[in-house]
Amino acid sequence: MTGAERIAVARETRHAPDCRLCQRQNAALSPSAVEGTHDSVTDIPAAYVEIIHRVTNDPTRLSKFWFEGVIASGLAETVYVEIVAVIGIVHSVDVFCRTLDIPAPALPAPVSGQPTRIRPVGAKHLDHLVATLVPEDLTLGDTDIYADSNAANIYRALSLVPDEVRTFRDLDDHLYLPANDIFDLETDYRAISHAQIELIAGRVSANNHCLY
Amino acid sequence: MLLRASGEHDNVDYDLADLKDGTGGGVEDGELLIRFVDTVMNLNADAPAVDKAEIRDVLGEAALVDIAAVIATFEATDRIADAKGTPLEDYKEAATVALRKEIGF
Repeated sequence: MTGAERIAVARETRHAPDCRLCQRQNAALSPSAVEGTHDSVTDIPAAYVEIIHRVTNDPTRLSKFWFEGVIASGLAETVYVEIVAVIGIVHSVDVFCRTLDIPAPALPAPVSGQPTRIRPVGAKHLDHLVATLVPEDLTLGDTDIYADSNAANIYRALSLVPDEVRTFRDLDDHLYLPANDIFDLETDYRAISHAQIELIAGRVSANNHCLY
Repeated sequence: MLLRASGEHDNVDYDLADLKDGTGGGVEDGELLIRFVDTVMNLNADAPAVDKAEIRDVLGEAALVDIAAVIATFEATDRIADAKGTPLEDYKEAATVALRKEIGF
């Protein structure tokens, strides 16, 4: 995506919780039982808006059928990966700020230029909805994305756009722990213990009904 | 799985079923932490909300920042994982058969 598109995705992500269609879908037995149009504040394509609103407001009920429908609308998988990555960045930053009563930072002005649109040649459909890179298929230029880690599946989830792995890891290293430190139980790197960190992580994920 | 690993390292048998019922599972200040997570996520309206001041008083200012950070990154991680259909790693799946049954997944 261009810088302008990424900023628009971030802006839409911030707005999504107020969407009346999403609220009605959340209350329904199945989101597909409620038709309508998302309340959008941007001019990005409808497929982008659908992804942003569903991933933000109802991620537990995302299905393979839904994903295939989004892709069938003509969306490149790389764009899907990038949209979800931007949603993740916005959630990380905004939830952190909201929890501490800090104003969320204003979105930056987009920088001009064109995206590389490079799709890693080794990416394959394996065990995620999207194609991913396993460590053995990394090529020159991407060999750093799993450095100092066990190539956790959450990193692989973003690997169709390697820069998104780098961005996610940068944020996650600061908010959670660098990959190697997670398993270093001899050292407490934060003001809370490993057990307290994992209790919080587990409770958040349990509340979100997220198996991963 | 990492909570269990922490317990094994600390020689404490954390009760992981308590992750669901909110009593903290034996983790130090676990019940307070769980109630704070639920407050931040606007869940469990019947339970008393936990103010940041209470976290500050009990755990300290730096802990409050770290807690906010962990909540934030897992709110994002869960959405990324759900949106990508991210499976458990094989080693986690094998190690958590009983755990997932225990906590109802």
